[in-house]
Amino acid sequence: MENNTLSQRVKSMLKVDFRRMCKSKLFYILLACSLIMPILMTVMMNLMDGSVSVNAQTGLETVMRGPENAWQNIGTLPGGENMGGNEVFMMCNINMMFMAVAIFVCLFISNDFRSGYAKNLFTVRANRGDYVVSKTITGFVCGTLMLMAYFVGSVLGGAIASLSFDLHGLHAGNLVMCMLAKIFLMLVFVSIFVLISVAAKQKAWLSVCGSLGGGMLLFMMVSMITPLNSTFIHVLLCVAGGTMFAFGLGAISKVILKKTSLV
Amino acid sequence: MNAVEIRNLSKNFGSKQAVCGLNMTVPMGAIYGFIGENGSGKSTTEKMICGLIPTSGGSIKLYGKDYTDKTVRAKIGVLIEAPGCFPQLTVWDNMMLQAANLSIPNAAQEVVKVLKTVRMEGAAGNKYQNCSLGMKQRVGIAMALLGNPTLLVLDEPLNGLDADGMRIMREVFTDIIKDGKRSIIVSSHLLGELQKVATHYGIIRHGKMMIEMCADELDASYRTYVALKSEEMNQTKILLGCKYSRVEEDEAGYLRVYDLTTPEEIVSYLYENGICVTEIKTDKIGLEEYYIDLMKGGK
Repeated sequence: MENNTLSQRVKSMLKVDFRRMCKSKLFYILLACSLIMPILMTVMMNLMDGSVSVNAQTGLETVMRGPENAWQNIGTLPGGENMGGNEVFMMCNINMMFMAVAIFVCLFISNDFRSGYAKNLFTVRANRGDYVVSKTITGFVCGTLMLMAYFVGSVLGGAIASLSFDLHGLHAGNLVMCMLAKIFLMLVFVSIFVLISVAAKQKAWLSVCGSLGGGMLLFMMVSMITPLNSTFIHVLLCVAGGTMFAFGLGAISKVILKKTSLV
Repeated sequence: MNAVEIRNLSKNFGSKQAVCGLNMTVPMGAIYGFIGENGSGKSTTEKMICGLIPTSGGSIKLYGKDYTDKTVRAKIGVLIEAPGCFPQLTVWDNMMLQAANLSIPNAAQEVVKVLKTVRMEGAAGNKYQNCSLGMKQRVGIAMALLGNPTLLVLDEPLNGLDADGMRIMREVFTDIIKDGKRSIIVSSHLLGELQKVATHYGIIRHGKMMIEMCADELDASYRTYVALKSEEMNQTKILLGCKYSRVEEDEAGYLRVYDLTTPEEIVSYLYENGICVTEIKTDKIGLEEYYIDLMKGGK
């Protein structure tokens, strides 16, 4: 087995990880949340459109503004605003998936160490790199599926709330590029989460807190790197970033696994 | 060639030295009983053999090759502390995952085979979390047996097993080493059970190997004692205590005289003092007593 090529070894490990992912309740819960959240948010924000809230202390009136366009869940339209125009809801868009995937990656990896599965694995498979590659790909696939689910949810939510699907001068290609850029950017986040999880090992709470904290540092740049009017350059940048992070942080993760106790 | 050859192995956890200058040799085809107190360094040594924790010094050779060699590592079966199963998955799913990790062709057939070996074929559909402790141990052993390993490293594999389970495990272990090419390292505190299967022993204390010998050598070094019963046990004990340095009563109600003596000498001594011996025999101490003696610093 160990004489197999890297691709064969990773393939066999991916087979195990995908099988585990497909049998994991957490994966389906996250996917369901990714799908339902944009629908609920769009519909509820649409229902609240025009409602006035008064600050009891200052007496300041704030008029809630609902979404005007279905794509506001994905990114900011030229000359437009994000969903709701409220600072809190500015964050509540597809970019949240970059943080949500941290929960999956951290629990997935910490489960390996808590159950003792890592012991069985690393006894027979000397190559720690295979493990890191496999976990990164699995997290990346999960993140991609969550982004896709959120996209579908946004379209459904827009349709239910009868919002406009007008792209305000952009074309479908921009939308595709935007989604592709986000997908490849997911690799950057997943690499960070894998590194933190591998370092934290069975301490799930530490890896989740560390990943959410680490992810927050990069979170604000997601909307800048992957705007709705993304072009091929944005995708290229994200591919380059994703690859660099995956290789760089992957190598560090491998060293951590080699130099530290696995039990 | 030996299955495992360890020289001057050491492991430090910060300032604490868990294993220091350990030498260990496990011949091919041996069931190696690895014995020691809690915290003596057994599990740490086993984890180092399995490559789960880095060593601080020394060398480990498996079948003549360095323990990091990928080809020998692929041939190790392991059960250390917990079986390494996902609780929410079934026994079958867990076994199939490990089979996939090992890239076993005809995985389903192989899984059925090892589950049959540990008599767990009927529980394959059970969720792992619903299995009893004994069943979990058996699943762990079955998992270690996957891929036909040449070296099995088992840490406390007999824990939680019932009498039948232990018998099955003894049969499994004996079966594995039949061809003389495969070896098993078993650490256990159930010395009575270990004595029934082990062909070699290694006794570790404070991270150092105290004694390493084969079962025959150990058997020869066991001390003999005279065990007896009489009509007046209390008086007999007092009388024997006056003449012999070590007289103890065992669980079966026999009085044991550990000094160098013969049954005839004891019978005549007691007869002279008006006590009639009803039963007398000579026997050897077991592994457990030998181990306790050794730990106490006795001979």
